[in-house]
Amino acid sequence: MTGIDTAPEILPSPAAPHGRWRSARETALLYVLSVFGALAISAVLVAMTGNSWPGVFKALFDGAFLAPGRWGNTLTIAMPMLLVAVGTTVAVRAGLFNIGQEGQLLMGAMLMAVVGTKIEGPGVLLLLGGLALGSVAGGAYAGISAVMRYRRGVPEVISTLLLVFIALQVTGFAVTTDWFLRDTDPTRPQRAQNSAALGPDTHLPVIRVFGNELSLGVVIAVVIAVAVAYLLARTIWGFRFRVLGHNARIAQKIGIAATRNGTLALFISGALAGLAGAVMLASGSSSYRFTPGFSTNIGWQGLLVALVARSRPLVCIPMAIVFAALRTGAGFLASTGVDRKIVDVTQALLVLALLIPPAVVFLRNRRRAIAAVSEAG
Amino acid sequence: MGLPPETTNGAAALELHGMTKRFGNLVACDGVDLVLNRGEIHGILGENGAGKSTLMKMLIGLVLPDEGTILTDGEPCRIVDPLDAASRGIGMVHQHYSLVDALTVWENVALGERGKLDAEGTRERIRSISKRYGLSVDPDARVRDLTAGVRQRVEIIKCLRHEPQILILDEPTSVLTPAESDHLFEVLREGVIREGWAVALVSHKLDEVLKATDRITIMRDGRVVQQVMTVDADAPSLARAMVGRPVTLRTASAAIGAATAADLAGAADRGYTGRPVLEIAEASARSADGEVLLDRLSLQVFAGEIVGVAGVEGNGQQPLSMLLSSLLPLDAGTVTVDGIPIRSGTAGAMMKAAVAVIPADRHDTGCITEMSVAENLVLTSMDRYTSRGVLRREEITARAIEMIDEFAIHTPGPDIPLGRLSGGNQQRVVLARALSAGPKVLVAVQPTRGLDVGAVEYIGERLQRAAGDGIGVLLVSTDLGEIAALADRILVLFRGSIIGEMKRSELDLERLGLLIGGSTDLGRAS
Amino acid sequence: MGDFFSAILDIFGSPTMYGSSVRLGGFLAFAALGELVAEKAGTINISVEGSLLAGAFCGALGYHWTGSTGVGLLTGVAGGLVIALIQANMSHRLTADQFVVGLTANVLVLGLAGFFNAIVDPAVRPAAVVAIPGLSDIPLIGPALFGQTWPTYLLYPLIPLTWWLLYRTRWGLEVQAVGENPQASDVSGIDVNKRRRQAIAYGGLLAGLGGAFLVLGQVGSFDTAAVGGRGFIAIAAVYFGGWTLGGTLLGALVFGFADAFRLAVPVLGYQFNAQLLAALPYVLTLVVMVAITKQLRQPAALAQPFVRGLR
Repeated sequence: MTGIDTAPEILPSPAAPHGRWRSARETALLYVLSVFGALAISAVLVAMTGNSWPGVFKALFDGAFLAPGRWGNTLTIAMPMLLVAVGTTVAVRAGLFNIGQEGQLLMGAMLMAVVGTKIEGPGVLLLLGGLALGSVAGGAYAGISAVMRYRRGVPEVISTLLLVFIALQVTGFAVTTDWFLRDTDPTRPQRAQNSAALGPDTHLPVIRVFGNELSLGVVIAVVIAVAVAYLLARTIWGFRFRVLGHNARIAQKIGIAATRNGTLALFISGALAGLAGAVMLASGSSSYRFTPGFSTNIGWQGLLVALVARSRPLVCIPMAIVFAALRTGAGFLASTGVDRKIVDVTQALLVLALLIPPAVVFLRNRRRAIAAVSEAG
Repeated sequence: MGLPPETTNGAAALELHGMTKRFGNLVACDGVDLVLNRGEIHGILGENGAGKSTLMKMLIGLVLPDEGTILTDGEPCRIVDPLDAASRGIGMVHQHYSLVDALTVWENVALGERGKLDAEGTRERIRSISKRYGLSVDPDARVRDLTAGVRQRVEIIKCLRHEPQILILDEPTSVLTPAESDHLFEVLREGVIREGWAVALVSHKLDEVLKATDRITIMRDGRVVQQVMTVDADAPSLARAMVGRPVTLRTASAAIGAATAADLAGAADRGYTGRPVLEIAEASARSADGEVLLDRLSLQVFAGEIVGVAGVEGNGQQPLSMLLSSLLPLDAGTVTVDGIPIRSGTAGAMMKAAVAVIPADRHDTGCITEMSVAENLVLTSMDRYTSRGVLRREEITARAIEMIDEFAIHTPGPDIPLGRLSGGNQQRVVLARALSAGPKVLVAVQPTRGLDVGAVEYIGERLQRAAGDGIGVLLVSTDLGEIAALADRILVLFRGSIIGEMKRSELDLERLGLLIGGSTDLGRAS
Repeated sequence: MGDFFSAILDIFGSPTMYGSSVRLGGFLAFAALGELVAEKAGTINISVEGSLLAGAFCGALGYHWTGSTGVGLLTGVAGGLVIALIQANMSHRLTADQFVVGLTANVLVLGLAGFFNAIVDPAVRPAAVVAIPGLSDIPLIGPALFGQTWPTYLLYPLIPLTWWLLYRTRWGLEVQAVGENPQASDVSGIDVNKRRRQAIAYGGLLAGLGGAFLVLGQVGSFDTAAVGGRGFIAIAAVYFGGWTLGGTLLGALVFGFADAFRLAVPVLGYQFNAQLLAALPYVLTLVVMVAITKQLRQPAALAQPFVRGLR
């Protein structure tokens, strides 16, 4: 803004070459320190419970990567997280704050369950149809928030969140209602509250490599991540989203209608979360059954991945693997006597830690003397 | 309140020695010496960027000096924040950004204090100051409902509340009508005589300084270049001192308030016939709160002419700018470009109709600092560089480089973020984009605000060139000098509608001043 | 149809319905009051959810260690404050994005509470019900408002206190100024980010108290799912209260009412789809927001971080 700060505009980072080097090294150092700090606090917590923190870290590592078959699991868990994260980046870049991924994911999984258990047909078609419908369901669910925002001014940060709770109830309803998704197989225990299992021909194919099994969905997710990265950076649609996210007024001025583009961005974001849910189900989550609690916080974690990756789709890939690793690693914690919750704590600490370096750098650059402020003309 | 004026007038209230401030490699103030005496109005004159504002901010505690000493009544001191300055008797009347719209007058005045909040006490103070200095204002009015002139009164009262001995006014008349400006100077003169104030009047208009001050210090490039008693000064010498070279161009003279009526008038009217390239008819719009933004506004711009829209800020300049940027849907009225009606408020409609707008605040609707220079340059025509959805990077870069050359934009490269460029260069980017899009109508809103004389000349020249190329130019500005220097035809904007028109050949600055204050020939416009 | 109406009348006429409205709404009101102050200062404090949970757990711990409800309430306040301080300092001293910090803080608290809960399972007993003589005899609303556990009554003085803080003190004036126009406040000599941090801290204190109230004054046990998204409802209450004190309280009460309705239905013997009931408060919140959001005026600088210009 012009105005009281009529002091000359300050460039945000030094232009001098060795200045740039130094700043990159300092930034890297900050990241290392922050991550170390987060892990240190986790270690302290573990120690407080009287357990060995090296043992915990080893268990996590084994559980995530080293033990046989584990990294396949890790990647399979990373897959829906990545999809959710990539979808979130689209919304965030367009300036919209979608935090309803958990609900959109459920909607996608639910539609997949409907197609997979209630409709007769060739397996491949059902699978593809289910994935597509799941995406549409997630997208439409997010679309509700878009309508509320653009017609009535309801902030999407609130409406997407409230819709999560509603989705949880819809899920509960679905698995307890016979005509909907409840498993009516008489051989199952009476109190079962879940859907029938997807038939084997509607399962997503599994890739076997080096003794690990991972769902084909992993490949799908990576391809989509790359595609979205390309779309955002190199196409006119991505350009429109970016302009909208930076400055909605300029967007309006140059013909990028906020309603149409924002709704589309929210739809895509919800659709990818819905796809994540559908893919999860078709890859064997909860034994191919849609259950209450199906989402297991994948939606929330995908959101965190996107935020940590600073809304860059390609960075989401390694970040999703890290977060997924923490999850699968937690499976090996039982033998160490440490509660699984330490993983949630570590995750949150890592996110906070990763927020610190960019903030410090930003502040430091504002204070620093900068070169080459040329004449005002 | 201090000693009676008779005994202290002429004594130094404030002395500055060697004040220096650097922002990176830029030296905003370089060893400035200044003395403010009691009972005197001291004009600080200099073009935009000369360092006057930075100097004053050091006095008020908003900026900390790198070097130099400040003496108040002979005692050295360090001023660390505005309330500290107030406790030393130094008060500043800000231009715009110091009042909170949502709060009332008394709440705003109370914001500048410490200690227990006393509503009635503050109201009383306001009433007594109002009466004493002739600045009438309702303590319980909400600031957002006040006009610019009344807001300034609130700013002054806020300043006077601390019973300052030293008053600093930074470009105070930019938001006032000529009548309000005169009233302000009367108030200042009264205070100087009665209370023995030491007043520093910062301005880039030498005619104003010649009229209202007793002594003048001229700054250029961060240094003091001349000091003179007002009675001994004249416009040409002041102008030369300000800019460092003879000032010949009419636009430059007008920018620093050196243009005489003779300079500005005289050019014969150019005849414009045929269909206007832009026509706004009976445009009316209200804000969400019901406030009137535009009130049956009508104007026409012909191809090749520069139409100036004069008026004090807050009378509809921003809504007009937003209308032509597709950001304001009209409740009634039409906008027609080259005979074709354009839907107001529809995204991109104005732009597609070849209406280019250079906004008053580039960060609002002018440019995106996080995107690259190239992307900003090509922002409005990105669709052209797309094949089947994919952006053609090389073409975009090539076109950007062309524009960078043509408009002499100083940038390390086309792909660096725009935010890295200096303010002036960012403005050039906005200008370049507007002019290169092949507009039929060019709307320039406050285009030279805050710019130094060289930049003012450049912009003025480009606007004239645009008109010469057959573009219809609509120049919206609160700076009368700028309008008078450039416009072929002058319209006056008051409370959302055009209430008067004047051709270049019949330019009458006095009548213009009256119109700006709302007085039409038929009496005050309601 | 007649059945339906008589059922509604039955529910609305039941004193337990009002009693639980005040309890559930009261819990929300603690958080919403605090969040109101934070939002008046121009910040959106998403970590209020975390503050509530931290307050609940620390409150439970305090009781567990000392057997005193009073101490539990104090430890709860401390817990809420700590979370708020994380939010305040990371967002308004370190310039990290306030939404990200808030969401992450919530996840952190959930994890920590779960982690420590597995080690120490606090045994809690609800506080005693203290009926205020006379007032609690007013028909229908008397017992609801004045026949509650004693921690509930802590809410009542907090309401005028918050009003006084916001509208009668210099601090409150500066908080409002900072939320409307931080640039102007800065020029007037106010430390914008400091006020924002303080406002968030106040929010954390109240949310911590609310969480402790939930465990010690209402439910009587601790569960990590206890808060269950109510922090976000509190934020919604501030929104549809139009950032006024009265509106915010009304919002909290309305939601509490909807929640109480959900609980009262089966208790009073009516059959109704469980999930629909559980979704009711959230649906109601959405409906209200759709209906009234457009007319509301929010603090002009809401959710806009402020970094001071160069000095």
